[in-house]
Amino acid sequence: MKRSFAQTWEIARRDLVQRAKSKAFLATSLLVVGMILVLGPLIANELDDPPPYRVGVVGAADEEFGAYLDVAAASFERDAVIERFDDLAAAEQDLEFGDLNVIVVDGTEIIWLEEESSQLNSVVLFALQSIERRDIAEELGLTSDEALALLAPPAPEFRTLREPDPEAEPRRIGALIGSILLYTSILMFGQFVMMGVVEEKSSRVVEVLLSRVRPTQILVGKVIGIGLLGLAQLALLGAVVWFTLTQFSIADISLADIGRDVIVQVVFWYLVGYTFFAVIYAALGATISRQEDMQSVALIPVALLIPGYFIALLSLEDPNTTLSRVASMVPPTSPLVMPMRLAVGGVAAWEVAVALTLLAAASYGLIRLGGRVYTGAVLKLGPKVKLRDAWRAAGQ
Amino acid sequence: MLSLVNLSKRFGDVVALDGASFDVPAGRIVGFLGPNGAGKTTAMRCIFDLVHPDTGEVLWGDAPVGPAERLRFGYMPEERGLYPKMKVADQLAYFARLSGKNRQEAKDDAAAWLTRLGLLDRADSKLEELSHGNQQRVQLAAALVHNPELAVLDEPFAGLDPIGMESMAETLRELAGRGVGIVFSSHQLDTVEDLCQDVVIIDRGRIVLTGELSRLRSSARLRHLVIEVDDQAWSPDGEEVTVVVTRTGDRRLLVEPSVDLDALLAAARTAGTVTRFSFEPPHLSDLFREAIQ
Repeated sequence: MKRSFAQTWEIARRDLVQRAKSKAFLATSLLVVGMILVLGPLIANELDDPPPYRVGVVGAADEEFGAYLDVAAASFERDAVIERFDDLAAAEQDLEFGDLNVIVVDGTEIIWLEEESSQLNSVVLFALQSIERRDIAEELGLTSDEALALLAPPAPEFRTLREPDPEAEPRRIGALIGSILLYTSILMFGQFVMMGVVEEKSSRVVEVLLSRVRPTQILVGKVIGIGLLGLAQLALLGAVVWFTLTQFSIADISLADIGRDVIVQVVFWYLVGYTFFAVIYAALGATISRQEDMQSVALIPVALLIPGYFIALLSLEDPNTTLSRVASMVPPTSPLVMPMRLAVGGVAAWEVAVALTLLAAASYGLIRLGGRVYTGAVLKLGPKVKLRDAWRAAGQ
Repeated sequence: MLSLVNLSKRFGDVVALDGASFDVPAGRIVGFLGPNGAGKTTAMRCIFDLVHPDTGEVLWGDAPVGPAERLRFGYMPEERGLYPKMKVADQLAYFARLSGKNRQEAKDDAAAWLTRLGLLDRADSKLEELSHGNQQRVQLAAALVHNPELAVLDEPFAGLDPIGMESMAETLRELAGRGVGIVFSSHQLDTVEDLCQDVVIIDRGRIVLTGELSRLRSSARLRHLVIEVDDQAWSPDGEEVTVVVTRTGDRRLLVEPSVDLDALLAAARTAGTVTRFSFEPPHLSDLFREAIQ
């Protein structure tokens, strides 16, 4: 038992070290760290300080237009910037390129790129209406106090049933990034497992290994070793994300705390989800002997992963639809959907328990199943081994 | 001592092993010989449980071979293979670790084998950077790095040049001298006959001949004669004599013990001056041919 464990750990260690040195791993790690360092500040900035409305003005414009625009934009916690154009064509070109959000011509025409933005529309309309009302009040000879009284909206008391959660939006964005990270990690390290299995088969070293250890030890060792490498990469990425987030703060919200919560969820669900998928990757890898054949069989686990990924994205909008709730408890979708529901909030403890129990049971079954397929297929060189033949061969 | 006892194995309709039994005593070099497809690889794989025999068992001493015993064996499969992108020394240490050595022992064993094979200066090279011959040496080292008590080598001479063959033979003799039992397979019977102390000859899954080579040679049923007349190989007409041409080009006569040698010599004399009339020990291929008749 002790010896068997030591051997399995040695296999895990080799796979971890060798794969960590591989160009594929180093390149993707650097790429993702770079992306976080570049995109992190951009996203945090967006949350903290949404960009101003850029309003192009062509032709005649009231001198107070800008002031009214600012007042209206402020109610959405945005700024408004006015750019003046002598030429409508030039303004339209800027609108095309996204440098402007809207164009106002002579105070009488509003031009959008494709469709109006309801928020900005109300801001612009408010500014135009305010100018018109001011002029009418002047024509009627009202004093400014009278005009104000006439135009003042009613002032009912407002109250809300509950406080808005200022963390909701940052959490949603964190969960989105988390789901991408989780999906890509399971995919990438699952593929590494498959590559490792195929390499050992195509280089034929596997028979040398099997004279010393049992097939399931190779399978489990490889899944552990590459899984730990994935964990190390996630830890690194998590640290980079966390560090990036500590550099920003939005009012009273601790982005670092939210980031930490999401990272913990991603790491935990990576471990359970990766185990499930890595065994599938390993068993399928054992049925082929050449790297060229990998593409075709690698599609199978991807096809199992993708529904979970899309349901996870849907869950960000509404985490409590029947689809999201069921998918968050049943494998193979649960490892991707449950953490997203958890990140958004409102998941019952029993749902998490059901998800983990089912996943543990399925993983155990898969290790038995995948182990048998691996055993039956790993010594068969040449063309692709049928799953049924591998199953039978292992029984002989 | 390793004993294969009455091993049988079928793959569908193909009989790979049919009640095969033989021993590999400590310190002996056993040639496991037979044509391609005779069942050599299947028998060797049974030792390592890479193939489960339908009947029969593999014993180490008196006990069945299990995972713990297998770690005292070294195996070089016919399908050569190691990790192409892994450093040679790391690779050997890894296999030693899998055979139960601790980290330091594994490192020392790897270095010792690299020294023995003259590859110490390539310890930090990746396997794929080595020449074909050196890769073969590392392959042997991978099988033996943990200093096993038994070496099972499947076609170790395949693909070697004469210098590589001699160096391999030297290594095997040295190991046997230290008490390691060695069984190696070959389908080229005559190239390995100088090395074998014992031979096991297999044909279509059945062991057809087994024993000490020198004794087998002396007890061969057919006599092996070389007769030259006027420095030319000579053979008589007649059904009791079979003429074979060996690998080295010798024309040999295989004759029944009942053949009258005086009459044969007299017949040769009538053809000219007899310049050679000698008994030769049978080649392995002769023994094989005899055994399967």
